[in-house]
Amino acid sequence: MNYVQLEKLGEGTYATVFKGRSRTTNEIVALKEIHLDAEEGTPSTAIREISLMKELKHVNIVRLYDVIHTETKLILIFEYCERDLKRYMDVHGDHGALDPITVRSFMYQLLKGTAFCHENRVLHRDLKPQNLLINRKGELKLGDFGLARAFGVPVNTFSNEVVTLWYRAPDVLMGSRTYNTSIDVWSCGCIFAEMISGVPLFRGRDNQDQLLHIMRIIGTPDDRVLRKITSEGQTESTNPPKQYPRYPKIPFSQVLPKASPQAIDLLERLLQFDPSKRITAADALSHPYFTGSVPLGLPTPAPGSMAPPAYNYPHPHAHQQQQISQQQQQQAHAQAQAQAQAQAQAAYLQAQAGMGHYGMQYPQQYAAGPVQ
Amino acid sequence: MSTSLYPLASLPQIEKTPSREDGIPDGLEEELRAYGCKLIHEAGILLKQNQVAVATAQILFQRFWFVTSMKQFGIGDIGMGALYLASKLEECPIRIRDLINIYDLLLQRKAHIRAQAMASRLASTSAHPRTEFKYTPMSYFGNTFYELKDALVVAEMQILKRLGFNLTVVLPYNTLVNYLRVLGLTSREDVCTKAWGYLNDALQTPVYALYSVPTIVCAAILLTTRHLGIGLPSAPENCWWELFDAEWEDLWNVCGYIMRLYRERTSEDHTRVMGMVAKKGVRQWLEEHRPAGGEGH
Ligand SMILES: Nc1ncnc2c1ncn2[C@@H]1O[C@H](COP(=O)(O)OP(=O)(O)OP(=O)(O)O)[C@@H](O)[C@H]1O
Ligand SMILES: [Mg+2]
Repeated sequence: MNYVQLEKLGEGTYATVFKGRSRTTNEIVALKEIHLDAEEGTPSTAIREISLMKELKHVNIVRLYDVIHTETKLILIFEYCERDLKRYMDVHGDHGALDPITVRSFMYQLLKGTAFCHENRVLHRDLKPQNLLINRKGELKLGDFGLARAFGVPVNTFSNEVVTLWYRAPDVLMGSRTYNTSIDVWSCGCIFAEMISGVPLFRGRDNQDQLLHIMRIIGTPDDRVLRKITSEGQTESTNPPKQYPRYPKIPFSQVLPKASPQAIDLLERLLQFDPSKRITAADALSHPYFTGSVPLGLPTPAPGSMAPPAYNYPHPHAHQQQQISQQQQQQAHAQAQAQAQAQAQAAYLQAQAGMGHYGMQYPQQYAAGPVQ
Repeated sequence: MSTSLYPLASLPQIEKTPSREDGIPDGLEEELRAYGCKLIHEAGILLKQNQVAVATAQILFQRFWFVTSMKQFGIGDIGMGALYLASKLEECPIRIRDLINIYDLLLQRKAHIRAQAMASRLASTSAHPRTEFKYTPMSYFGNTFYELKDALVVAEMQILKRLGFNLTVVLPYNTLVNYLRVLGLTSREDVCTKAWGYLNDALQTPVYALYSVPTIVCAAILLTTRHLGIGLPSAPENCWWELFDAEWEDLWNVCGYIMRLYRERTSEDHTRVMGMVAKKGVRQWLEEHRPAGGEGH
């Protein structure tokens, strides 16, 4: 193989991801190894991922460089990214919560990548922090297209087992199979709230519980909406219509006290129960949250201006040492945060200016393509 | 109308397909392609598989033969692989075991018909007793099952690899409905049914790998309206197919492909094709038909 395999970066349900280095160019890449199953052939996740990603070329989508096909496995060569958003929030966030500048930057890039998918008739269907990757420049990229699919002609053969539970749209939870781009928009909304607060917004245990979690915050929609959505889940029609408790809506400003009014307004439009009311990813990009002149409602802390740490461990002997190391840690943390913020801001400005934008390249004819 | 979403074969690929390069004549390749698609279709019906998946499989199957020779892979195996793959793509997966059993049944039945035909040809004068077809299910522990399973997995992988994962398929049915509406023909049920039928039959030809969907749909409408004696504006200045950006010559070619499906075939033609479902049969045929006066290559 043309790549040296380095350390493991992550493990998914059907693949292992390693860091790799090209023997010819020394470029660092990510190698996603997928084992071929003698019972099932090539996993459909891999088929989807390759066939869709090779066409999607955009700064906010992880680039698939190459595919190596051997007897026993498939190796997908991806652009390398430092870490996924989940890890990023753990490392740079304050209990997971990111600062407003970073949130805005990531949200913009997330919507930009999502809008690009939709423009090219691809649904991602599994947007969640673990599947969003952040590189050293603070660029956010959509990854893991294992559940994605092309849409267009006949759309109602979709399976409804898509999107990790916490980011799953209520219409999908209710069995709708005719959903479209709006399901990705819902996931974007969930991720937005999570970046602001540091914790997932709706954490259900199962399908039904997830739906209740959603209703408890955004309120139970009226019967007309419920009936409309239920009628779209044709397979479910044999069951009697479910009764839902009537929850009032809790204002997002109460759920996310840190969010600016414009952020709340955007969130509101992303997290509409009724899929037909949800804003599109493309429209969300021109929301005042991104375009408005009022920065973010919150003053941005200057680098290093964090409050000194409180002493939590008054241990007589370790005291001094601990104090120092805590201070150092705090400083390092503040530095990392400031750096991340600056990167995020730069990536945001670049994304807004439309730089680093690649055009689509469709195949004009059959070719061995990237496959060796 | 953009065709850039789905790949079409390139001119060199059309001019000399890999099979022709290997000495398989034009007409024979066309017959084998059609036969492979019929098998996919029949297997789809027996498996109660969704029609979108079956149509997708047939189109992938047709594309495959623009990058691979039938001397290298059999139409039976590749058909099976295409149906398996398309079922994954369309999110209505089928079990390997079911697919293999169905193909085994179909091929046993074809082999029986072929044997009957050959026997009756040999004994053409006397009344030859017909034997009933009896299906012998294969043993799950025998070699046949595992061999077929391996062949299926390899076929799927080869399709992916050789098509470079370009798997986008656009089916013509929505376009047909739109065009009939524009032409004011939606109220004619006979027109809709017939045109729809031509589009389905066209799945047994390479046209979906060669022409854009609008062109194929126009060809189906042309055949239908000619057949039913319906006049549409066709004067040089004002012809209906130009409304849909189709070229007359392309349209006519597509019609040719479709019409050739309905050509009379002798029982020799049938048995010849049935004997070439596996690459072994193709190789044997090539051996027997090596051009005189040379070793070939
Ligand atoms: N290009 C990359 N650069 C760096 N790390 C990556 C890259 N791609 C993936 N990873 C890491 O590997 C993990 C698993 O990758 P990915 O989500 O693509 O695999 P998967 O098997 O599809 O996972 P899932 O369980 O969600 O189906 C990611 O969460 C991420 O941490
Ligand atoms: Mg993942």
